[in-house]
Amino acid sequence: MIQLEHVSKIYAPSTAALQDVSLRIAAGDFVSIVGQSGAGKTTLAKMLMAEEQPTEGRVIIGGWDITRIRSYEIPQLRRQLGVIFQDYKLLLKKTVYENISFALEVAGAPRKRIRDVVPQVIRMVGLEGKDHRFPQQLSGGEQQRVVVARALVHRPKILLADEPTGNLDTHNTRDIMDLLLKINHFGTTVILVTHNREVVNALRRRVITLKDGTVVSDQSEGKYTLPV
Amino acid sequence: MITFWRIFAASWKHVFRNAWIGLATIFVFMMALFSVNVLLGVNAMLDQTLKILEDRIDVTVSFTTTAPVAVVNQARFYLASLPQVSEVTQLSADEVLQRFRDTHKAESKVLGALEELNGNPLGAQITVKAKNPEDYPFIIKAIQNPQYAEFINPPVYDDHQIAIARVQEIGRSTRIVGAILVALFALFGLLIAFNAIRVAVYTQREEIAIMRLVGASSFYIRAPFILEGLWLTLIALIFSGLAIYGAVLWLEPALSPLFEGAGAGLSGFFIGQAPLIIAVEGGSLIILVMMVSWVAVGRYIKR
Repeated sequence: MIQLEHVSKIYAPSTAALQDVSLRIAAGDFVSIVGQSGAGKTTLAKMLMAEEQPTEGRVIIGGWDITRIRSYEIPQLRRQLGVIFQDYKLLLKKTVYENISFALEVAGAPRKRIRDVVPQVIRMVGLEGKDHRFPQQLSGGEQQRVVVARALVHRPKILLADEPTGNLDTHNTRDIMDLLLKINHFGTTVILVTHNREVVNALRRRVITLKDGTVVSDQSEGKYTLPV
Repeated sequence: MITFWRIFAASWKHVFRNAWIGLATIFVFMMALFSVNVLLGVNAMLDQTLKILEDRIDVTVSFTTTAPVAVVNQARFYLASLPQVSEVTQLSADEVLQRFRDTHKAESKVLGALEELNGNPLGAQITVKAKNPEDYPFIIKAIQNPQYAEFINPPVYDDHQIAIARVQEIGRSTRIVGAILVALFALFGLLIAFNAIRVAVYTQREEIAIMRLVGASSFYIRAPFILEGLWLTLIALIFSGLAIYGAVLWLEPALSPLFEGAGAGLSGFFIGQAPLIIAVEGGSLIILVMMVSWVAVGRYIKR
């Protein structure tokens, strides 16, 4: 369960990225957070992974109040959260296998577990045979699959995808969305931050629409209603 | 344990995968070490020059022809007993005369004049070397003891006092200037090393941010960078040490003629002081690199 209670974020001197946002996301949900540029989507995503702290209100994830999370607790939170970014954020000097295993290594996972889990997730995202390639030797779609695999190695309860298809063509976008649906099907809560109308409309899942930092609509089987 | 092994392995991966930045950093470290050691070498050569000059200084006490041998012997024992004196050499009147003849053997007029004098016009001599040039004024004052004063030719003292004062002044000035230059170059070297590390960390700032995002702790991110800095420093120290050793071995005999065969003082200084030089230069560079790495990485792992 993810809970935001009257959350506001004001950047100095007086720019409000979020204003009095309250919402609940149940375990196992697939939620799209949509809005135009500057609506506050990314700020909200950053709060969920404790990259930003709210100016007011509370952020609670699985009963853990992370509003004023301490710096040394952040790694613990992030190991329970899978995160996917538009710009992939892969370690360019590590191979596919190393990028994925790194997320387990930092958590102190034993070698045996890494040897078992990493090939599984590589298979799951369809990158068999490419585990020794470096990110720059992969297409955009393949790089995003590596990111998905990396996000999944911890078997996270929540997967946060911030514009995951922003740099992908239609074919790769469909593949990545199928992958996210598959992950959600196995019980992982998926939060998709996007402004891609086609993707949101094709999903037919819950849609939370942000505008100027406030929630303007929250529909259980919603559509992208904002003007282009 | 497995985490420490991973950090160790990651630090070496950093070294190899950032080989060009690493090479540039090693080069900068070596330049910093070289500049400091070149000045240390110059300082060592100045010290050697002063030592040679100081070794040349002595005080020669010339006795009158009427001085009894017993008085000359007594003066020698007295001077040798002084803690400031390192060496006393005594020449009898005959030995002094023979030496004079040897020195002027090509000058027939001088030798002719000597023959006309009918007898030895020269008295015995005592040559005194002090442990430190600063001690000569004291030794000169000591020999002016009323017990010996009437048997000693006085003008020798003033000549030596001027020469001694001059050498002492040169020594003081060169040592002060040398120390200031070494301190300045050490400071420049540390600043260069400081910036090299900051640049190396800056180029990897995105990687640091990604590590943080996937749940790496601050220690797990920092430690490989700190170790990477340590390896680069050790590599730079080893190569600098070998290069300096080679340069010293080549320069020492090449410069020896300039020091009248006494040696330039480089091998004595660098080989004799090697443990101290390595400990001070290596230790300060390692501490600086580790501190800078810690701070520089910290800028990118705030949240």
